[in-house]
Amino acid sequence: MYIVATTLQADSGLLEREPLVDVLETAYAQARAGHGRLVLVSGEAGGGKSALLRYFCAEHADDARLLWGACDALFTPRPLGAIHEIAQEAGSEFRKLIDSNAIPYQVATALVRDLRTNGPTVLVLEDVHWADEATLDVLKLLLRKIDTLPVLAVVSYRDEAVSPSHPLRIVLGEAATGLNVDRLRLPPLSRAAVAELAEPHGVEPDELYGATSGNPFFVTEVLASGGTEIPATVRDAVLANSGRLSQGARSVLEAVAITPPDAEPWLVEALSGLLDERVDECVASGMLGSSGGTVSFRHELARLAVEESLPPGRKLALHRAALDALVSRHEVNHDLARLAHHAEAAHDEAAVLQYAPAAGAHASSVGAHREAAEQYARALRFAGGLSPDALATLLTRRSRECYLTDQADEAIDALQRAAECYREAGDRLKEGETLVSLSNILWCPGRGDEARQTGLEAVALLEQLPAGRELGLAYTNLSFLCERAADIDAASEWGKRAFSLAEDLGDEAVLCQALIRLGSQEGGDAGRQMLERAAALASQDGREDDVANALFGLAAGALFKRSYDLADVYFGQGLAYCGEHGHALMHLYFLASRAQSELERGRWTKAVESATRILRERAVSTYPRTRALVVLALVRARRGDPDVQPLLDEAQALADPTGELPRIAPVAAARAEVAWLVGDTAAIEEVTVPALELARQTNSARAIGELQTWRMRAGIREEPDEIVPQPYSLQLAEDPVRAAALWAELGCPYEAALALADSDDEPTLRRAHEELTSLDARPAAGIVARRLRDRGARDVPRGPRPSTRENPAQLTSRELEVLGLVAEGLRNADIAKRLHLSPRTVDHHVSAILRKLDVKSRGEAAAVAATLAPQDA
Amino acid sequence: MDTYVIVRRNGWRTPDDRQLAAQRSGEEAERMQEDIDWIRSYVLSERDGTVGTVCIFRASSPEAIRRHAAAADIPVDEIVKVADTVIVRPDPAVIAA
Repeated sequence: MYIVATTLQADSGLLEREPLVDVLETAYAQARAGHGRLVLVSGEAGGGKSALLRYFCAEHADDARLLWGACDALFTPRPLGAIHEIAQEAGSEFRKLIDSNAIPYQVATALVRDLRTNGPTVLVLEDVHWADEATLDVLKLLLRKIDTLPVLAVVSYRDEAVSPSHPLRIVLGEAATGLNVDRLRLPPLSRAAVAELAEPHGVEPDELYGATSGNPFFVTEVLASGGTEIPATVRDAVLANSGRLSQGARSVLEAVAITPPDAEPWLVEALSGLLDERVDECVASGMLGSSGGTVSFRHELARLAVEESLPPGRKLALHRAALDALVSRHEVNHDLARLAHHAEAAHDEAAVLQYAPAAGAHASSVGAHREAAEQYARALRFAGGLSPDALATLLTRRSRECYLTDQADEAIDALQRAAECYREAGDRLKEGETLVSLSNILWCPGRGDEARQTGLEAVALLEQLPAGRELGLAYTNLSFLCERAADIDAASEWGKRAFSLAEDLGDEAVLCQALIRLGSQEGGDAGRQMLERAAALASQDGREDDVANALFGLAAGALFKRSYDLADVYFGQGLAYCGEHGHALMHLYFLASRAQSELERGRWTKAVESATRILRERAVSTYPRTRALVVLALVRARRGDPDVQPLLDEAQALADPTGELPRIAPVAAARAEVAWLVGDTAAIEEVTVPALELARQTNSARAIGELQTWRMRAGIREEPDEIVPQPYSLQLAEDPVRAAALWAELGCPYEAALALADSDDEPTLRRAHEELTSLDARPAAGIVARRLRDRGARDVPRGPRPSTRENPAQLTSRELEVLGLVAEGLRNADIAKRLHLSPRTVDHHVSAILRKLDVKSRGEAAAVAATLAPQDA
Repeated sequence: MDTYVIVRRNGWRTPDDRQLAAQRSGEEAERMQEDIDWIRSYVLSERDGTVGTVCIFRASSPEAIRRHAAAADIPVDEIVKVADTVIVRPDPAVIAA
């Protein structure tokens, strides 16, 4: 329909695009074979992305199912707008699900199911730089499953519209590390191409190229105007063309300009009178396109130009008319985002207050929180005449949406204003409740002191009223804040108050949170039981935040005891739960703890993966970021890689203002270790003092132990504090061998090796050197090697890669891996899948193996493999 | 992306092995265009008869370099950040390995 109409008009569309089409074709062939691929198409506005995609789709209209969705340029896009479009051509099951307020996880699952069962599909998502949050989430989730689906996903966007902090960056970042992604960048047309297009129109090619810089849309517009004068900007070109239309046609154009993304016939009629040949005139001129009765601009740039040129009065009147038409029309008066958009543009306060909050609530319910925040902001712009109570409600909702989309300052601001409103209205209960939420959010970007102050204010206020849930939650809030500041005694106090209040009131919400707090603080088996009880209770009552928090408490508890396998179980549960329920912030918390766990276990590559995922996101809470920065910095420092200091500097800048030990101590310990690794032991004293003092103030035994150990390595002679636990106490008592044994038992190979390195004894130092080398901890291994040489030890191994040296056939460890799978009878394609390599790389490895083993066939190679000693394989 | 020097000493038994590795390295770099850019390498003739390289890459992070090396199955001894490039004379003509 639309596609065919466009290819009939294609002229400049496909010049110089053949190599790009080739990439699409190759990707498509792979997708048909069941290996789904993603193609990212980027370019400037007017660069021809749409034309390319439409051409490609038209070529395959007969051999693939086409699902096409375009993201719209509405200031606050409709949640899942593009997905709704896709649903039109998808299976009925998927359509049904989409119509029922599903959250992104459910949508993605249903989409994957649909794609699996409906044959080869080309899925196009256009202009994702405009996508709402829910659509981006669906895309992200789909991309994780794509490599086993028979789908070619083509996603287009404007590079200049995607700033470093744009949410699309995260999706692109994740996609970039996949093996099945192609990136196409549409370059502007070359001088020669522009000349070729200009020739039949008799336009001066150099001038045309100079004015347009090869932008295909601009070129087309200029040539369509037929005049000899070349306009200076795209806007001028578009307006020149629209200026040549009859006044009647222009009024149709204006009507369509204010109703993105496209206008239904009845809407255009309502705005500009009965549809007739005026529409045809617009279509014939190339400004508008028509598809299935709906009319829209052929290009967003054109629409923008026309919209911007409208005088304010006319714009207002058009939006007014659009709003009236939409409201009276049954099938769209639930399209709240659209109604809110026109209501605002028509300056209709009552309509905005009617539709924007509803649009916000709807967006929130389907996981489009960014859009929800915007809708509430819109309502607030028109809220001058509202009662304090109603205003406070809007502010509270906006605050929650801002919280969920890492806009901490906006969230805090909104809640402060809400509290003021309740104060003004004399509603002290709501005021107190709001102060508790405010306290909670203040903590997230690290404003701990303000958080505590506000929390205490809330308690003081609520204690003057009859006790209820709000007071209980005020208590648990303070318990949380004290816990984060490592003031366990106070935390426990508040927690117990909450607990007994919960029992008095029979309130499960307060009980749940009290159990989570007390369970986290108690630790051990008793703590675990409390947390499990909380998780069960919360799950029963559908309190998702509490389920996530309880699981996190369980994970953190296991991690603290170094029960790494148990912690892994909880990480898995927590990450899955947060993923399924769209809890992005808690998801980061779990990732941060998992990164820490992987670091402690010596699984550095995994630790880097987890940390990097966290660092890609901007989040309202700085705690996960601080942890991730430290983990990444330590892995780099331990491997001897560069780019360590900037990470620690950022971590310190985030941690210090909070005054919280759980953030400050890891940074200090990391700085000490880094200093030791680069031989700057003099710096260790300075770097550890403030954290050590804080650790002593809060009786944080483990932190004291860790910091004192580094100080010992710096040659600082001081008495170990009594409360220092093992294994640190053993190290400080100069019993490196026992300390190392204990570390090894706990599952921390790097700490074990470092403990051995503290020894004075040659054989122990040699062991340390061997272990550090096998961990790829080069700087530490180098320090030990120097110690050995200083003692006059001989034959201290310098080089790495013992695996290649000791291996008789000189196969690398990767080649050995591949050989093992060849011996199992796998074909190259399967080996590639198993090892996450490209098939070509596997082919190379197999050739190398055959050569090194001096055999001619896989069978012979397999035979040789059998003779290699087990430890080589 | 920043520029890094990667040292791979005694990495390969023979020049042919290194050649194959170079091919894999190039292919893997292609698939990671956003994260890694292979600028040039100097092939080292080591004292023990083996072959090594010093490579110059642009990369988004040290981890990207390691990911690339793992995928291409080539070793990484050391990664050092390049602060500045000072060209005194152009490289002499390359003699085919």
